[in-house]
Amino acid sequence: MTDPMPPAAPSALAAEPVGPAASPPDRPSLPPGRWIRENLFPNARNSILTVFAILVALFTYRGLLNFMFSEERSWIAVRTNLRLMFTQAYPEHQYVRVWVTVGIVMVLAGLSAGIWARWGGVTLKRLMGWLMSGGGLIAVGVLIREPSVLTDAAGETVRDDAGELVRESFAAAMADRWVWWAVALVLFALGLALWLRFDDLARRTSEIPVAWLVFGLPGLLVASTWVIRYGHYAFADGEFIAEPGQLVAMSTRVPWTVMWLLLIGCYGLGRVARERAIASAQAAADASDDVEVAEEGAGGEGAPELPRGALAKTRAVVNLAWVLSPFFLYWVVMRDPEIDYAHVFSTMLPMGLAFGVAGSAVLWWLTRSDAGEVGRLAAIGLLLLAAFHWVAAFFGWYSMLQVARIAFLLLAVAGLLAPNFAGVAAQRRRLVGAWLFVVLLVFYGATVINAPSTIETPTDMFIGGFSVTLLVSVLTIMLSFPIGVLLALARTSRQPIFRVLSTVYIEVIRGVPLITLLLFFSGVLPLFLPDGMEIAELAAAILGYTLFSAAYLAENVRGGLQSIRRGQYEAADAVGLTTTQRTGFIVLPQSLRVSIPPLVGQVIATFKETSLLAIIGLFDFLRMANSVVPNQSQFLGVRREGLLFISVVYWVVAFAMSKYSQRLEQRVGLGQR
Amino acid sequence: MSTQPAHGDATIAVSDELAARDDMIVCRDVDKWFGDFQALSGITATIKEQEIVVVLGPSGSGKSTWIRCINRLEAHQSGQIIVDGIELTNDLRNIEKIRSEVGMVFQQFNLFPHLTVMDNITLAPIWVRRKSRPEAEELAESLLERVGIPEQAQKFPGQLSGGQQQRVAIARALAMEPRVMLFDEPTSALDPEMIKEVLDVMEELARSGMTMMVVTHEMGFAREVADRIIFMEEGEIVEVGTPHHFFTEPAEERTKLFLSQVL
Repeated sequence: MTDPMPPAAPSALAAEPVGPAASPPDRPSLPPGRWIRENLFPNARNSILTVFAILVALFTYRGLLNFMFSEERSWIAVRTNLRLMFTQAYPEHQYVRVWVTVGIVMVLAGLSAGIWARWGGVTLKRLMGWLMSGGGLIAVGVLIREPSVLTDAAGETVRDDAGELVRESFAAAMADRWVWWAVALVLFALGLALWLRFDDLARRTSEIPVAWLVFGLPGLLVASTWVIRYGHYAFADGEFIAEPGQLVAMSTRVPWTVMWLLLIGCYGLGRVARERAIASAQAAADASDDVEVAEEGAGGEGAPELPRGALAKTRAVVNLAWVLSPFFLYWVVMRDPEIDYAHVFSTMLPMGLAFGVAGSAVLWWLTRSDAGEVGRLAAIGLLLLAAFHWVAAFFGWYSMLQVARIAFLLLAVAGLLAPNFAGVAAQRRRLVGAWLFVVLLVFYGATVINAPSTIETPTDMFIGGFSVTLLVSVLTIMLSFPIGVLLALARTSRQPIFRVLSTVYIEVIRGVPLITLLLFFSGVLPLFLPDGMEIAELAAAILGYTLFSAAYLAENVRGGLQSIRRGQYEAADAVGLTTTQRTGFIVLPQSLRVSIPPLVGQVIATFKETSLLAIIGLFDFLRMANSVVPNQSQFLGVRREGLLFISVVYWVVAFAMSKYSQRLEQRVGLGQR
Repeated sequence: MSTQPAHGDATIAVSDELAARDDMIVCRDVDKWFGDFQALSGITATIKEQEIVVVLGPSGSGKSTWIRCINRLEAHQSGQIIVDGIELTNDLRNIEKIRSEVGMVFQQFNLFPHLTVMDNITLAPIWVRRKSRPEAEELAESLLERVGIPEQAQKFPGQLSGGQQQRVAIARALAMEPRVMLFDEPTSALDPEMIKEVLDVMEELARSGMTMMVVTHEMGFAREVADRIIFMEEGEIVEVGTPHHFFTEPAEERTKLFLSQVL
């Protein structure tokens, strides 16, 4: 990889024939029997431990299986309530809005994966391991689970004279479970086929692209809804009617198929764009005879790195879409806002135009190359004016639309950033363009947010269940991240006021239980707000979570900041970077990548902590399983199934995030070798 | 540098009052304390344009502290430091101006590990000098060529040897087209076989007419390249002279003692 050969090396050295790169000797896999002997039973003590561990695992597994498949379990409560658990009672005829939301996420996910992902492959050996252990696990499960309890014609369990439950015979139980046997056999046979078909070397070196698995498995699942009769649940007159032995309803099957096709299609689109960008960069490199640049990315995992600067616009658009989509989906798609057009034309539109035009003029002036000290003073003046509006609002001196106050503040911030864009015409245009975009966003957002929702649901919230969990965690993470970074910078800043304020804030928040904070924001905060300002319960909850999580994120980022050596600051100073540039280009990028593990830990914690929403009265995922479903007349008291189900969903999401962070660490570790 | 930045524009009009026109660095009675410890006492020296000055002295004699005061990585507490006609004060704008005129090379290289070699070099020209990216990259390529590692542009610092890293650091400093280069023990952290490649680059730079101030322990470099040698001990300048004078007939006892230990 490295090429430590000095440029002045004598040419005789370069002329030497380069032999094949010395590779470490091949180490074939051990045959199964020897592997087991060497790893599990190498000596008496380890053998005892192995046996003990296997017994513990088996008993735990058996307990779980007996719980899951017990006659007392009513999994139908989970299956029929899937919609409720994920979206609450969203109106049937507007359900297309939910699908549009999922669809947009699928499009973005597909595009992102297509453009960015370098997933590499899974070796046949690992795949074989998964298949065979999966089949083995199912077979063991089928064998060790207790035979089912017999029931009489009335559906009551049969008891013998001693009052013990009567179970069917072992053979009958095995015969009843023939479907599971079939699945286990198929999986095992697939693994065995791989084993027989390829020799050891091929199994260890041939790979299946991870993309096939990532998209193929959901694809199989979706396809199976067209074939396998999972059972169907109709919803009529407020009652669920179970229709076992039917295919899944069209209204579920078709959208999911479309979703999967969207995902695949966008992934393909992204891939094509990526390949083209790589090919054109390669061609350009060949043309300029600068082969080095293009080949540089060829290391790593086989897949070539996307050349820098390639697809810059597409990537910027996709990233921006990711950032904006939660807000757009939540306020526009899911709520179907009823916009007051009279107000829009009389107030919002003229005001937005005024801010756009006047703000652009101000920024254009502030970025003149000779604006200098006057410009700086003008920007600070703007900031004071903006701050004054907020103070005035707090004391109720004069009324002003909130959106105007926000726009003033943003203009002041843009003005303070202006010196970074001064002088060069292209940079000035970029700043003004960004300002116009921000104005558009703010005024559109304000219009949409203030418009009431037209979606009618039994509760006053139009979404609930997993979607509210997801919404709160995504918004909290997006909002708390910048705040946390700013807090960390403030706490390490040389400005005493920033340092003291940030330290006090962080220590206070970290010393208060999250539940207290949530109750405060949902119940107490509205009493403190000035007249005419209201805050929705969900917004209050998000605010509470954000402030809480920001304090913890700040401490994580601060840990990263402290790991940056003093020489980095000095080098940045010595080349003349300003403090802002030093922070943005040198200090933050390095400290953030150091703090990836704790940051992701905090993100996962936030995601799980959203289950506290139930306490302040919101219908989140946990509450659906814990109290809504068990209160339905058909499923009175059926709680454990739901809890197990949501645990699995929480775990899948958290595990995916954790895996992603590991990959992220590997990827950004690149420069630190 | 192939092109010297224009000299004598309005901002440097004060130079005549503070220093002679071809005085690049002027220090007058500079004092510096770390707590109760006086690191520099009464440093007075002038470095002319295109002059190569090597600062020698035992460890802890204040050489590095002095050179770091010149671009304000350390603040001096009394006396005057005037670089290219601009006096170093607490005024942030003067500090920024001087830092963009003065290149610095550190003992520990201090490359930015998360950026490629190319980005290390182009960052400051783009954001401080406001060059366009292609312009900055062209400059970076020519500088990498000059320090002898044009093929490493897309690598990360961690993938280079120490000598290569230090040469990238020199290229990074040169990319700002400075009028003075400061070297703070540039070869002390290098393995012996890599020292020469860095010294070669420095020699070439000296021949091209750059004003240089070098803190080093490389006696050979001092003898061959320096116009003047400044010998320091315990925060004071002990002796100043040409290499010939310094190595053959030093006047001060302390200089003789030092030379007897290192030669």
